Amino acid sequence: MRNQWIYYYTGVVTAKASGQGLERFINNLTRSGIKIWDLKKHGEETLTFKISLAEIKRLRPIVRKSGCKVEFLRRTGFPFILKRILKNSGFFVGALIFAAVIFVLSNMVWGIEINGADPETEHKIRKELDKIGVQTGKLQFFLADPEGIQRAITDNLEEITWVGVELQGTTYHLQVVEKTIPEQPEKLGPQNLIATKKAVIVDMFVEEGQPVVDINDYVKPGQLLVSGSIGKEGKTKSVSAKGEVFGETWYKSEVSISLKTNFKVFTGNEKRKHYLKLGSFSLPIWGFGKTEFKTYETEKEEKTFRFLKWELPISYIEETHRESEKVMRTYSENEAIEVAKEMARQDIKNDIPEDATIKGEKVLRQTTQNGKVYLLIHFQVIENIAKSYPIIQGVSE
Amino acid sequence: MAKKWGHQVKNWMTKHMELPQDVMMDLPRITMIGQIHIYIENHRGLLAFSDKEVRLLLKQGQLLVKGKAFVIKTILPEEIMLEGKIDQVIYVND
Repeated sequence: MRNQWIYYYTGVVTAKASGQGLERFINNLTRSGIKIWDLKKHGEETLTFKISLAEIKRLRPIVRKSGCKVEFLRRTGFPFILKRILKNSGFFVGALIFAAVIFVLSNMVWGIEINGADPETEHKIRKELDKIGVQTGKLQFFLADPEGIQRAITDNLEEITWVGVELQGTTYHLQVVEKTIPEQPEKLGPQNLIATKKAVIVDMFVEEGQPVVDINDYVKPGQLLVSGSIGKEGKTKSVSAKGEVFGETWYKSEVSISLKTNFKVFTGNEKRKHYLKLGSFSLPIWGFGKTEFKTYETEKEEKTFRFLKWELPISYIEETHRESEKVMRTYSENEAIEVAKEMARQDIKNDIPEDATIKGEKVLRQTTQNGKVYLLIHFQVIENIAKSYPIIQGVSE
Repeated sequence: MAKKWGHQVKNWMTKHMELPQDVMMDLPRITMIGQIHIYIENHRGLLAFSDKEVRLLLKQGQLLVKGKAFVIKTILPEEIMLEGKIDQVIYVND
């Protein structure tokens, strides 16, 4: 017996033949090599049988000769299933569109939650987020990663000390720590002004209190500058001394600078490659060919697609190859000294208060050794050296 | 005369050379599985077919199969496989 299930793939038709001389018709079919099976007689003049779809064409001339009538009753098998699928393709297209819509919606930003900020700061953060494109309804794919958002916000908003950005599914959670600027307590209690460091007084501006030092006086740290006790001997009263005392202070800074320095700089040439990563396999989709740069740095940005709450093993990778170059910087000795001085100035500025000014600078020592220039620079700085210090009540002077 | 002579040679050969008779003499080979299947090789065509009776042409005479609920599972020019409930297998010689 033949493997009739094979015919399932080519298609099977159940046919009904009726008329006179059915037996002759069957003999003609078999003799011309057409395979038929499952013949059943229904009554006197009807016969049902199965035939392969591929042999229907050859059936026709034999039917015509025999004088029987043939109808096709049922079509089974793969080609007919395929036909039905095509007919019902709307359903499948719908399912596909549904999945696509879910996929797109899963990759969208649906909410931005900001915790730990007062309404004003929150509003500012939202504005900042709008600026960089983080809005509800945007596709995550085109947005910066959480670290980038974090950087953008902390860089652009002064009110916050730190912000933690976390992406949970379709919602960005922002944890904000606000800067709390302590309010300057109004010092109403009696107080003196004392020196914070050794200095020579150059200027004084006393709002209240009795100055006890003069211009050009040399003061040591902790020395009384402006007394809070005013009035004549025996009739003193304590007030809150207020004012600014500017003194000339001294700083030393030691800097060293190499005459020759090697740098790695980017030439600005870059090549971008785009990949679609499926599991562990990366499929290049744009940017083919080898990178021709001699030396380059690679930057990789990966964006993962998600479906509902799951992360798909599919991600989009953008690789940027930046050409780098080694550059040697050479200074002449004079140039090196200038640069070193500038460095020293910057160094000092970090140490002194903002309202202080550099009055003068003097190179104390300058040596060139092993291709390096060493400088010891002395700076004269004018700054406010006064600090309030409370007068403890009950302690008589 | 010549035909008879040939027939006799064939007969003799099958007897003495142990060749299968259905091959040598164009006889039907009938295989039956209980009452439910009958497999007939070497037939010469279908003469009549209904659900109670199948009549087959042989080289010599006819073969009549009687029973109930006959279905021809396969039919090829010289082979036929019949399914149903077989009651009788009758050789009909004119």
